[in-house]
Amino acid sequence: MPKTLLTTKNLGLEVEGRTLLKSLILSLNPGTFVAVTGPSGSGKTTLLRTLAGELDPAEGKVVNYLDCPTRLAMIFQDLQLADGATALTNVLGGSLGRHSFLSTLFRFPSEEREKALHLLAKFGLSEKSNQWASTLSRGERQRVAACRTLLTRPHLLLADEPVSSLDPSLADEVLAHLSNEISGKNGCLVCALHNDEQVAKFADLVLRLDPSDPNGWKLEDLKPKEVA
Amino acid sequence: MEARRPQTKGSSLKLELPWHSRFDLLGITFLLFLLGAVGALPSIEGSGRDLDYWGNLSRFASQFFPPDWSILDRTLEGLLETVQIALVSTLLSIVISIVLSIGAARTIAPLWLLWPTRMLLNLIRTIPSLLWALLAVVIVGSNPLAGVIALSFYSVGYLAKFFSETFETANTDAQQALRSLGASPLQAFQFGLWPNARPIIWSHCLWMLEYNVRSASIIGYVGAGGIGLHLKLYAESADSWNKFSLVLLCILAIVTVLDFTGEKIRQSIRDQLEGKKKTD
Repeated sequence: MPKTLLTTKNLGLEVEGRTLLKSLILSLNPGTFVAVTGPSGSGKTTLLRTLAGELDPAEGKVVNYLDCPTRLAMIFQDLQLADGATALTNVLGGSLGRHSFLSTLFRFPSEEREKALHLLAKFGLSEKSNQWASTLSRGERQRVAACRTLLTRPHLLLADEPVSSLDPSLADEVLAHLSNEISGKNGCLVCALHNDEQVAKFADLVLRLDPSDPNGWKLEDLKPKEVA
Repeated sequence: MEARRPQTKGSSLKLELPWHSRFDLLGITFLLFLLGAVGALPSIEGSGRDLDYWGNLSRFASQFFPPDWSILDRTLEGLLETVQIALVSTLLSIVISIVLSIGAARTIAPLWLLWPTRMLLNLIRTIPSLLWALLAVVIVGSNPLAGVIALSFYSVGYLAKFFSETFETANTDAQQALRSLGASPLQAFQFGLWPNARPIIWSHCLWMLEYNVRSASIIGYVGAGGIGLHLKLYAESADSWNKFSLVLLCILAIVTVLDFTGEKIRQSIRDQLEGKKKTD
């Protein structure tokens, strides 16, 4: 794995002519949990989508050092699940990049099914694995989307408000799982969050966006390394 | 500062819309329909003879009663053949329609494939089921196979159009998400788009099966198998309208059962897709 997964150089973001962010310099390293905070409309989603390569920056650039594009994955704010498929099938969708069309045409490989079921169990969804996504609550759908993205085995995971519909204890549990699966395994987790307690509990770095000032972003190191 | 209210005459609110504003596309279409229907009235003529319409009707209808239950076994055999023709032709048409509908869906197929496929479907839909049955009887003879061929072609014209419209309107978010997570276009279609379209597609299939049972009941009239042949025989022989009415009763029974079952299944699919069985 490269020493740095992704960097931004003087990154500037604009949406419909409104400047959200200017001159952002950020370096995403393995083993880090980066929280992105700021009020609604401050540009969290736009930043994550720009880091994912879905949007072009207004200025500056994003440099991706990952060896394979599928090593970067995203948990979307609007989840984007297939409503008419079961929770299990939705999660298994995360493994498609590793298999050919014919090998998943009728059935997923058993090791992928086991891994998907294991993830669903970890996120408290064992009993819902065979239910259609349309019949799940928003909180359950959020966890299914998280499991699907984890099954892609990303080194860099961009999560757009992945616990916004969960109660605080379940949200902590899910963030702990995401943190263990990604930053605990030497990946990098970038998570848009609203709750300051969650930021303080899990994040190593926090990027605070200011909707009133595009240059007003702040990057804080919450867990400075202890000097031996 | 005092707010000014719009001035109205008396208590009624006067809408200041130009008179022609109500003639939008829908209004003009309805007006053309009305003009066409009224304009056609003078050309709809009767025989010109002084007939006792109600007397004729009551005399003819009385011959239907009571139905002749002695032919029930034979009728049920014919009905079974009708349902078998409908089942096989619906299955065949589903398989062909799924392939053709992908070529006819604007969101999936390239333009060079889209328009030829759509033209082919238009051509198939232009030919009515009875004409398909006549063609099939000419080719394979008077037997149930002709019925299967006729109804398969006829159904493909409609099912493929319904399927392609379903693919075009289905939610594509999951398909795009899977593409961004590394799935190939075919995999993203299978696991992202197809699950969202599948419930609607099954609903169309059920409707087509119901429709084909009705159609299979009539194509026997031209020799393409099924209960239609019985209808033809009883209609052409004298004093057999009570047998004819029993056949009609049996068709009514099977169509009602199918309609009721189909509606229940469709409702259940709709509920599940709209998430009416949420767990919390």
